[in-house]
Amino acid sequence: MSFETQAPDWAWYFVALYFFIGGTAAGAYFIGSLAELFGGESQREISRIAFYLAFPLILVTPILLIADLGRPERFWHLFVYVNGGQPSFNFLSPLSVGSWALLLFGGMAFLSFLDNLVVDGRLKFAPFANLYNRIPRRLYGLVGSLAGFFVAGYTGVLLNLTARPLWAASDPLVGALFVASAGSAGAAAIALVMAWRKMISNETFAQLEVFDRIVMIIELVLVVAMIVIAGQFAAPLLSGPYAFMFWGGAVLLGILIPLILNWTARRPGPTSSNLVVLTAILVLFGGVLLRISLVQAGQL
Amino acid sequence: MAKGMFVDTSICTGCKACQVACKEWNELAPEPSHFIQNPASGHLLAVNFTGNSYDNTGKLSATDWRHVRFIEQLNESRSEAHWLFMSDSCKHCQDAGCLNACPTNAIIRTDMGNVFVQQDTCIGCKYCIPACPFGVISFSEQTGTVHKCTLCNDRIHNGLGTACAKACPTGSIQFGDVPDLKAKADARLAQLKALGATEASIYGYNEAGGLNVFYLLMNTPSVYGQPVNPVVPQQRLVLSSAATILTALAAGVAALVSFRERGAKKRAEVAP
Repeated sequence: MSFETQAPDWAWYFVALYFFIGGTAAGAYFIGSLAELFGGESQREISRIAFYLAFPLILVTPILLIADLGRPERFWHLFVYVNGGQPSFNFLSPLSVGSWALLLFGGMAFLSFLDNLVVDGRLKFAPFANLYNRIPRRLYGLVGSLAGFFVAGYTGVLLNLTARPLWAASDPLVGALFVASAGSAGAAAIALVMAWRKMISNETFAQLEVFDRIVMIIELVLVVAMIVIAGQFAAPLLSGPYAFMFWGGAVLLGILIPLILNWTARRPGPTSSNLVVLTAILVLFGGVLLRISLVQAGQL
Repeated sequence: MAKGMFVDTSICTGCKACQVACKEWNELAPEPSHFIQNPASGHLLAVNFTGNSYDNTGKLSATDWRHVRFIEQLNESRSEAHWLFMSDSCKHCQDAGCLNACPTNAIIRTDMGNVFVQQDTCIGCKYCIPACPFGVISFSEQTGTVHKCTLCNDRIHNGLGTACAKACPTGSIQFGDVPDLKAKADARLAQLKALGATEASIYGYNEAGGLNVFYLLMNTPSVYGQPVNPVVPQQRLVLSSAATILTALAAGVAALVSFRERGAKKRAEVAP
């Protein structure tokens, strides 16, 4: 392990925020397509909301990513190798594979978004309406959820594949943690919309809560395991400027309290809309703080 | 045949001719963080020198591709001093973390084994910076791209050695084919060991999968500010990916359990 490494000086408001927004979009899409694949007609309402959320969210992320580049106007070099003209690809680099996955995920999220618009009758452009259903929605749902899982997880693998002490020592669990966190944040984003559209008394909402509960438990286990594995190199998360953000924000507000709220709301009876909104906002807030604290503490 | 350098720190005098030669040949600008512009005359004023050492740059950077590290070991009363020098640069790893990390293939290995950043391809994503186990490759705000030692790519492809090796007055930095340099390093190490230099060792045979630029150190690597057991970060790819995929599968199972349409559950909810 090395202390002689350099930090990339990634700005939290670009990179960590991208990790979060990309993860939330991917998590929502993942849930939406799995609900579509495994569920029936009543689960369609979850996938509808998920697909309406995923595309606008993922549309924001290239802006953040390109803004953090030293040469933003060259962002397309990620896809075209300028000294040969062939597609640029480096399978050892999560950043390279992740860029392609983001492109693929964006495409699938776009198709699902259009599909929603056509089904809801909001898009009545005839030539398109004739074409849209040629590809079965389950197919791009499947491809999109695989790409989405990749978008949620590669950011953590990317951190593990560096020589920075915290990021290297937390191997192999940061990608896993980001996937669990993305699932939880995606469910929270869907829950917020369901609360807004007064859909929380539905049975599908209870199913979403079950999913969120399982994912938050996985997330909690991964946080503990990651700190144990990192050992002495977890120091930037145990003291210093990001310790409070990580434990107080990401873990307590973002996982533990929502998990308790979710657990107590599990008994049958009317669910409080305020409680649902509070839980979802805490999960999303915790997800942002998890990314910021891990990305920034690794650069100290 | 891979070209490299052997840096014998035992005969380095800390003259910094290599630093100067590197700057001159590669036309490297003054390190921006070390200079300010005099508002009256417009001349550059040197600031931010280390101030506690004859070591002037303190580290490698996008414009300082070679750095002579001064390790000043003084006793408590400062009556006795022992100096160690290490002329440091990019080590041109045989399995380079920066090259593996580069998403645009801007960082390439040439036919002579040196690791080279193509300035017209780099987008400045900075992912190579934390991927270097030695903290060598650095970002320049001036160009928006990363820079590091090229092993004098232009010189070595025209039959010359590196500028630093050419300038070195004691032969501490030697350029050549890696196997030849290893033979020289082994002989020199044996000679020093016979003279009683028990701490002496070669740094770079096994570190981070082998380095084309390697060093004879007179003390432990950490004394010279080098990582003790550097590894190529991409070695973690399989395990880290596997853990991520497993978690995604677990989330998939959670979704399967949660979103399956269950007749039993529906009946249970209707009953009360």
